Amino acid sequence: MALKKTRHGWHRYINGLTIATTLTVLFVILPLLWMITSSFKGPKSIATSDLLPNPWTTVNYHEAFTHYSFSRYILNSVVISVAATAIVLFLGVMAGYALGRLPMRNKLPLMVALLMISVFPAIAVIAPMYLIMKQIGWLNSYQALILPYAAFNLPFAIWILRNYFLGIPKEMEETGRIDGASPLRTVWSIVLPQAKPGVFTAGIFTFTACWTEFLMALSFNSENNFRTIPVGIALFGSQFTVPFGTIFAGSCVAAVPIAALVLIFRKSVVSGLTSGAVKG
Amino acid sequence: MAIAERVEKPPLPPEPPAAAIPLIGRPDAHRRKLARLGWMFSAPALVVIAVVTLFPIVFSVVMSFENVNVTGSGYQFNGTTLGNYNVILNNQTWRYALGFTVLYTLITVLVEIILGTAIALVLERLTHGRGWMMALLLIPWSLITVISAQLWYYMYDPSYGIIDRILHALGFGNPVILGTNTSAIIALMVADVWKTTPFVAIIVLAGLVMLSSDVYEAAEVDGANGWTTFWRITFPLLRPTIALAVLFRVLQAFGLFDLPFVLTQGGPGHATTSLAVLGYRAMFQDLKFGPGAAVATSTALLVVLGCMAFLRVFKAQVGSEGN
Repeated sequence: MALKKTRHGWHRYINGLTIATTLTVLFVILPLLWMITSSFKGPKSIATSDLLPNPWTTVNYHEAFTHYSFSRYILNSVVISVAATAIVLFLGVMAGYALGRLPMRNKLPLMVALLMISVFPAIAVIAPMYLIMKQIGWLNSYQALILPYAAFNLPFAIWILRNYFLGIPKEMEETGRIDGASPLRTVWSIVLPQAKPGVFTAGIFTFTACWTEFLMALSFNSENNFRTIPVGIALFGSQFTVPFGTIFAGSCVAAVPIAALVLIFRKSVVSGLTSGAVKG
Repeated sequence: MAIAERVEKPPLPPEPPAAAIPLIGRPDAHRRKLARLGWMFSAPALVVIAVVTLFPIVFSVVMSFENVNVTGSGYQFNGTTLGNYNVILNNQTWRYALGFTVLYTLITVLVEIILGTAIALVLERLTHGRGWMMALLLIPWSLITVISAQLWYYMYDPSYGIIDRILHALGFGNPVILGTNTSAIIALMVADVWKTTPFVAIIVLAGLVMLSSDVYEAAEVDGANGWTTFWRITFPLLRPTIALAVLFRVLQAFGLFDLPFVLTQGGPGHATTSLAVLGYRAMFQDLKFGPGAAVATSTALLVVLGCMAFLRVFKAQVGSEGN
């Protein structure tokens, strides 16, 4: 194949492969760089298409946290995403273990039903949820998002965890049983440590989904004090002025933790994205 | 969703786990005990899912057949009706939104699959830094869609947006990108392609890496060129992976909401009003919960039907390859 030929001179560095790779990198990274540099542009510089801020300023970051309640949005997003992820992991590990390893009947129909629920578009359920929450006084509260986020992310988490539990050797559990450990204890101290990668994958998927969710957050928690980051960023400013600098400052702050998380756990993310394709 | 394909493969490991467990006492009793334990373990999750998702789904269908009145503190149903569906079926905007959503889904998914596969093929050849490239591709995937919508809105701005400037420099005059129907739709698609192509590329890349290198060596011996190798060998082997990526993306694209809601507000006019945006507007801006529920229910129905049809076709394809 062409690749195996020895290349000489500039051909070694400039060939179809490096050009295509560079184009890919630029395509992904340029808009992100534009967002980062724009977050450092002052009120005058933001209304130009200058490549670099002139002068560089952190006024936008200051604005986001003082003039706008961006710190409140971050707090809301963290509380809701962490709580929903914790619930998903706790319930998902138990259900995934049961569906992966215990001799229950009708497992397959149950798994298919879970799959159908996980693809259901959110728009189909927000109206009844909104009306119910209105009646029981849950609109603009943390539980208004924690509970739906947990429920809608559980099916996918159960699938991922079940796949990991299926792959753990059975001897491990037997040891626990013979030692007389309780079932819950067997799961907790013997099976769970083996399924750690699965727990990471399920956790990071759930967290990312909660962190980025917009439609439900917009419908149920539109009051300023209960807005999550996506709602806050979408509704920044007024109808007449869009404070782009502040929006991008907030966006950078919101994007950094999740990007760091995804980069640290990139193997888990990739295995989650491909769990069907690869293991199927 | 990633496991769609698994469901379609009937031979799930048939051997029940209990069989391998050293049984104490009567086997049947032990098995039953374990099964009961299984239901106990999964009950909390299943109850939460049923109450929070299934119940609203059913409620939504019921609501789409009701005259709904929203009051200050709650809501009332005032009689059953087919009127909600009548309203949407005779509504120009709904018909347009349906057409727009279908067209948008088809075009963006097609472009993303082609570009994503191309990127995956390039990355697969990299000997150094493939891990970092994958990490880079994950960043747009993890970005909040609302943020990318604001970013593209800024870049499309008619007076100082960088893309507007670039088009101007290329001799396109001074286009108001989000101001005319066609260009607004294209602009929306470009923003979508930017955010989701990396996701497709990662799925396809993972599928590529799994392919055995033997087949390529055989092709090389046979003197096949790159293009022939791709169409005759790589693509057929990759088909299940690509099908999975398509399913993922179609389902996501059909529920399109965040991007047009922030980037174009569904405009200009109704040009970029997707079904989800229309349903949201009907319910939360016009407070017409009945017709809104009808839009939402019909969208969900289309998604489920599409999903089932897809799995059918896909299963047939896998079956014919299996022989």
